[in-house]
Amino acid sequence: MIEKYAEFVGEQEIDAIYKLAQRLSDLSILHVNSTAAGGGVAEILQRMIPLMRELGLRADWKVIRGDEEFFTATKTFHNALQMGKAVEVPPHLYQVYEKWQEINANELDLDYDVVFIHDPQPAGLVKYRKRGWWIWRCHIDLSTPHPEVWAFLRRYVSQYHAAIFHIPEFARDDLEIPQLVIPPSIDPLSPKNREIPHTTVERVLKKFDVDPERPLLLQVSRFDWAKDPLGVIQAYKYAKRHVPDLQLVYLGSPAHDDPEGEAVYREAVKAAGGDRDIHLLMLPPDSHLEVNAFQRAADVVMQKSIREGFGLTVSEALWKKKPVIGGRAGGIKIQVIHGVTGFLAITPRTAAHYTVFLLREPKIREEMGRVGREHVRRNFLITHQLRRYLMAIAYVTKRHRA
Amino acid sequence: MKLDAKSLDTRGNGIPFKFYTAYYVSLYSGMQAKTLRQLLEGVKAADSRVLFHHLFHTIRTKHLIPPKYTNDFARWVGEEVGDEDLAAELSDISGAEPATLEDIRREIVEILEPRADERAGREKFIFVGMEPVVVKTDYVAHTLADFLDLLEVVPGESIVYHFVTRRVLEGAGRNDFSTWLEKNFGLSEVAAQLSKIDPLMYNSEEALRAAILRTLKKALL
Repeated sequence: MIEKYAEFVGEQEIDAIYKLAQRLSDLSILHVNSTAAGGGVAEILQRMIPLMRELGLRADWKVIRGDEEFFTATKTFHNALQMGKAVEVPPHLYQVYEKWQEINANELDLDYDVVFIHDPQPAGLVKYRKRGWWIWRCHIDLSTPHPEVWAFLRRYVSQYHAAIFHIPEFARDDLEIPQLVIPPSIDPLSPKNREIPHTTVERVLKKFDVDPERPLLLQVSRFDWAKDPLGVIQAYKYAKRHVPDLQLVYLGSPAHDDPEGEAVYREAVKAAGGDRDIHLLMLPPDSHLEVNAFQRAADVVMQKSIREGFGLTVSEALWKKKPVIGGRAGGIKIQVIHGVTGFLAITPRTAAHYTVFLLREPKIREEMGRVGREHVRRNFLITHQLRRYLMAIAYVTKRHRA
Repeated sequence: MKLDAKSLDTRGNGIPFKFYTAYYVSLYSGMQAKTLRQLLEGVKAADSRVLFHHLFHTIRTKHLIPPKYTNDFARWVGEEVGDEDLAAELSDISGAEPATLEDIRREIVEILEPRADERAGREKFIFVGMEPVVVKTDYVAHTLADFLDLLEVVPGESIVYHFVTRRVLEGAGRNDFSTWLEKNFGLSEVAAQLSKIDPLMYNSEEALRAAILRTLKKALL
């Protein structure tokens, strides 16, 4: 399987990955997260683990379990860590969290040489560490966390040998452990990103009453205030004054663990105001083919987030040669290079301006799309992340010198 | 000095050149700057791995930034603070042999100090350090002919490792290519010409590779 990636990143990159893996071949490696399916972390691990095994590494993946109360606690922590003080955290949730860490530590075999713990949900397992190097892989924005929740979590994170963040801005001054920076990645061979026939694209668009012949603006993200759906609709409305046949697709998934999603969706419907060219689509989380088709059909892709972890939908769109208009938030800033792979825009008016500009200038759109794909090819494919994980293991285990 | 084509096939003193390559683990340094003054303080305080990262980041990362500025400090001053004159000056610093990281730091401080005021960038400058992870490649040159051929095909990371990282960060004092040319073949003049290439003036691995190849071809072919 790994050889299939050589067409994207070259034989030399694959060769370096093999060599790094050889250096680590005596180590057992475990990844732990909180869900086997759904969400970016699970998506990456589904491919990362087989790749690590193919390299001859003894890699496993385990998923913690919990009851509804536990996941309410972790969801609350997640929001509190990303959104700061605004979130109310009932004190008993800390005990719920601790109780399930203990249950999982008793049930899971954590006896590995290197353990990657993904995100806050299983972070407390470190309390039960018996041996090995433990690395906390953080996938969220920790730059302005809820002080109390972070203080609680920090007690655990400080016990790790290292932490990994997506971008330097998310690293913490109040952590003494080494903090590595590794961006996440997309898989060019996954159903969401692989090449698909043009007919499939057309078929999917028609299924949702979107006209393949008319210009299309797209945002793929949850119905979440952080993704600024109302700002996207506003930007579309401004742009439509200049491009009357413009269509907007906002493609999200229902989030059962996020009651706010419903309310945001309702507000978005209200803001759309019966415009038949605005398509607010709620598709199941595994609608990879549909996402792929819409990203390929779009003329301009938007990711107008106000807060963002990394925003891999940006890389997904760039990979499909689409320029992206992105908010100045989190990892969007390293994917959207202003004026090169797209434009950074804060207000709906600015976003509308760049949308119209790109729609009006097909050659620039094409060139930015070409450069955008190259940017992803060089930096944000799964093999890069695999190599960086191996480098992180080499660094933490002091094997980084040849 | 010109060599005839046959000389390219000799093995000199029999020392092979083994190509290594390096990738870099990025590490948060704990230092940030909002203003030019804080940037100056950061440059003064940064350890060698942080300084190396920001000076040679441009050449070794797979970026697509237009080649206006040749190091991260200049880019931040130009694009975030908006002082293009100061940015251009910071882009003009020299990293050619025998400049050490301390020499480069001194030059940056000299340029920055008189103008380091409270002007702030739109985004903070975050000081990041790095640690090389060195990997041996399968490429080995025994002759000058091998060497020339391989320089064109080895990974770009390998060129930067031998030409920049070994000298600037690992204290080899001189780039590995010049050292080998002199030690194995006694080609002091060619080695000296190669040493004149200033890696800080290049904004990609491929641009540096092209400059090295150009110099060697001119001298050896």
